[in-house]
Amino acid sequence: MLVQYMIVSALLIAIGATGVMIKRNFMIVLMSLEIMINGAGMLLIVMAYYLGNVSGQVMFLFVAAVAASETAVGLAIAVMMYKRKGSVDINDFSMLKK
Amino acid sequence: MEAIVFYILAIITVGGGLGVVISQNPFRAALWMVLTFVGIAGLFVMLHAQFNAMLQLIVYAGAIAIMIALTMMVMDRRNLNAIGRFNPQPLWAAMFGAGILADLAVLALKFKIDLSNAGKNLAIDGSNTKMIGDVLFKHYLFPFEITAIILLVALLGAVVLTKKDINQ
Repeated sequence: MLVQYMIVSALLIAIGATGVMIKRNFMIVLMSLEIMINGAGMLLIVMAYYLGNVSGQVMFLFVAAVAASETAVGLAIAVMMYKRKGSVDINDFSMLKK
Repeated sequence: MEAIVFYILAIITVGGGLGVVISQNPFRAALWMVLTFVGIAGLFVMLHAQFNAMLQLIVYAGAIAIMIALTMMVMDRRNLNAIGRFNPQPLWAAMFGAGILADLAVLALKFKIDLSNAGKNLAIDGSNTKMIGDVLFKHYLFPFEITAIILLVALLGAVVLTKKDINQ
């Protein structure tokens, strides 16, 4: 079963990475980031189970806390850009270009 | 029996992830994301990580999904839905994602560890929460405090970024 769990985790990471690269809506990019972080956290839990060491489960607590902070800052950036540009399309996020 | 439950949960999880990437409406994407998180919580229960399963439901499926949905609620719905689905060159991104998947899958298939300890040392008196608390406050106390500081800094950063006169 270890290989199947790792494949599910790899699928989540790959789907999240593809979503970050492919989507135009910044809100969905943030959601894809969450999925990616969750895939990595799931691998920690899988290894905690199969190695018989609870440290992986403790690490997941830290991963969850950092993911929550990242979402808060990302949403703040989205709100700021929406106030300036009136859109959350990432192609409009080019303030630093000129 | 265990394999059947695993495959059902895996299909829910991966299907939810695909739904997030494929859907154009961000509100539907948020609901797909909640489905993914619930599926992952089910997988955590199968891995004897009951505390983390509940944490997943409360923090991810509860707090983060609601936070994203509330942020989208204050924006213009027609404006959000009018954004195109994919970037102008989606094929390259999809190929890169497939490459990441192939890389990780090869690693997973070649990975060999000693499985004699599988499922042991995960609970004290049948309680996973007690074991996590024991390890967290005996061995990981300093990282725990650092996590508190990270949360505080993120809170301040969010407040500063959304202040009104940041544009001047």
